Amino acid sequence: MRIAGLALIVSLAFVAALVVGDHPVPPQEVLSALFGADGVPTPSRVIVNELRLPRAVMALLVGAALAVAGAIAQAVMRNPLADPGIVGINAGAALAAMVVVVQVGSLPETALPWLTFGGALSMAALIHALAWRQGTTGTRIILVGIGLSALAGAGASAISVFGEPAAVQRAMVWLAGSLQGSRWERVPHLLLWAVPPALLVWAAAREFDLIALGDEVALARGQSVNLARATAILACALLSGAAVAAAGLVAFVGLAAPHIARALVGPRHARLIPTSALVGAGLLLCADITARAAAPPLQLPVGLVTALLGAPFFAYLLWKRRND
Amino acid sequence: MRRTLLAAALLALLIVLVALWSLVTGSAGLTVGEAMRALFAPGEGRSDVILWQVRLPRVVAAVAAGAALGAAGAIMQAVTGNPLAEPGLMGVNAGAAFAVVLALSVFGVTASGALTWCAFGGAGATAVLVYAMASAGRGGPTPIRLVLAGVIVGTFLGALTTAILLIDSQTLDAVRFWTAGSLKGRQLAQILPVLPYVAASLVAALVFARQFTTLGLGGDVARSIGQNPALWRAIAAGCVVGLAGSAVSIAGPLGLVGLVVPHMVRLTLGGGYGRIVPLSILGAAALTLLADTAPRALLGVDLPAGITLALIGAPFFICLARSHGAVRG
Repeated sequence: MRIAGLALIVSLAFVAALVVGDHPVPPQEVLSALFGADGVPTPSRVIVNELRLPRAVMALLVGAALAVAGAIAQAVMRNPLADPGIVGINAGAALAAMVVVVQVGSLPETALPWLTFGGALSMAALIHALAWRQGTTGTRIILVGIGLSALAGAGASAISVFGEPAAVQRAMVWLAGSLQGSRWERVPHLLLWAVPPALLVWAAAREFDLIALGDEVALARGQSVNLARATAILACALLSGAAVAAAGLVAFVGLAAPHIARALVGPRHARLIPTSALVGAGLLLCADITARAAAPPLQLPVGLVTALLGAPFFAYLLWKRRND
Repeated sequence: MRRTLLAAALLALLIVLVALWSLVTGSAGLTVGEAMRALFAPGEGRSDVILWQVRLPRVVAAVAAGAALGAAGAIMQAVTGNPLAEPGLMGVNAGAAFAVVLALSVFGVTASGALTWCAFGGAGATAVLVYAMASAGRGGPTPIRLVLAGVIVGTFLGALTTAILLIDSQTLDAVRFWTAGSLKGRQLAQILPVLPYVAASLVAALVFARQFTTLGLGGDVARSIGQNPALWRAIAAGCVVGLAGSAVSIAGPLGLVGLVVPHMVRLTLGGGYGRIVPLSILGAAALTLLADTAPRALLGVDLPAGITLALIGAPFFICLARSHGAVRG
């Protein structure tokens, strides 16, 4: 029931994303343009099909990917504060972006997604390798992740202190996250990198229920804990790396969406993972509509809006469940 | 107990030695003798000016901010029982940064003394807000609610700060060093008014370390041995605000130190907050001072201490995390 309501909200947000903008297109024209009906003015058709539709699809995918990554991270680390950033994605991506934008400057901006994806993945691999000592523990991964993220963050910070203010600002804008570069040709990449890991973790939902109970319990029930953790981290890195490459660092969705989903459907992962995906997709869609409509012709970075919208909503949830 | 005392003595000695090193290094050379004379028999000479205007403030700022952050981090980890807990989680860094950026950008405040109080006020107000949010409801401010509230408020203010900086590049330029956590260009006059807060909170942290440990065992355990969790949580939060607020107003947001130093103590000497709190205070002060001094002395580059702290602290921290099996989270 709640999931159906959530799905309805996300669908409405999706239509709204196609309607709202500098050039408003009425809903019936949007639907006609979508289904290729005749009688739609050409500008409207181009705007809907070539600009807004890919952007809305990207928002759905990026939000869902971040939310699923967050849900996995929280389960595997058994820590409600865990978000995709814990496997070093944010720090790796931020460092890569700072180096590319501020230091190199000559590299084309098109290389940025690939470099950040690479930075994120190698960071996740490095954290896992360093945390490995006759197996891993959630705490050790967290601690090593903190250390490595701090190193990468210091690198990015050093570059920002000594770099050109204008270039630093450009890098900050990119890091703040934006869906402005959404094109149809970017969607397949995102699908390719994000959908298989998401389906994999959903199929393995029982394993996450088990690992959330603690290593001893999971081992006693015959789970190979280290393998589960490594797979989860890889999935998390792929999902959030793909999201970062597509839209920069979108804050807060990965942390908040699983909490919101838990408040709706409880802690069982078979329901939590799809619900998180829906919540994340809805959050990012609404945030992107706001980012486009808040201060036209300026577009706010969508990562800022997710924080500005998501934080009060999260606070409301916390307040509503204050007596649980 | 003997090992704790020995470790404390060693750290104190380290602080004194690094402080001396910090006083004699810099663009103008001072000998140890000159520095000592200027310190204990202040006159009007060149070396007196350098020591009292430039170098001593840095040492005092590093030691005070480091000690405060070490204590705040140890308390946060003790009370929440979460290895990820750090002073920044109470929203103090985000609140301080927001207040400073707002003051610079909107109100055009430039006097650094005024900015110190802006940071302190922003940190305090934010922490009170976080605590109030977490306290709503019957359960009171349980660690997890406190942490979530801190994340919510911190994220919100951080986003506002970033928004201002994206619009206003002049403020970005002015605030870059501050947000990287730099101890450069502090004046004794700015630091001294904050020191009483640091001292009082440090004493409270040391005296109440046992009660904070009890809190970390959970509300039920605490109640069963006759502790009033609500009262002690409020006291712990008050300590953290005093400590982290002072630190951020002295030195900007120095990220890693409050998080890492308590873990380092736990990993090298084992648990028990009666031991962790005092050693975290000394260790964090030593580490911050070293981070501020080493790049100047060895490389001749004046890196912001926040960056150096991460570069020194992180690898060491990773080695420690690896060398121990399970850390009691």
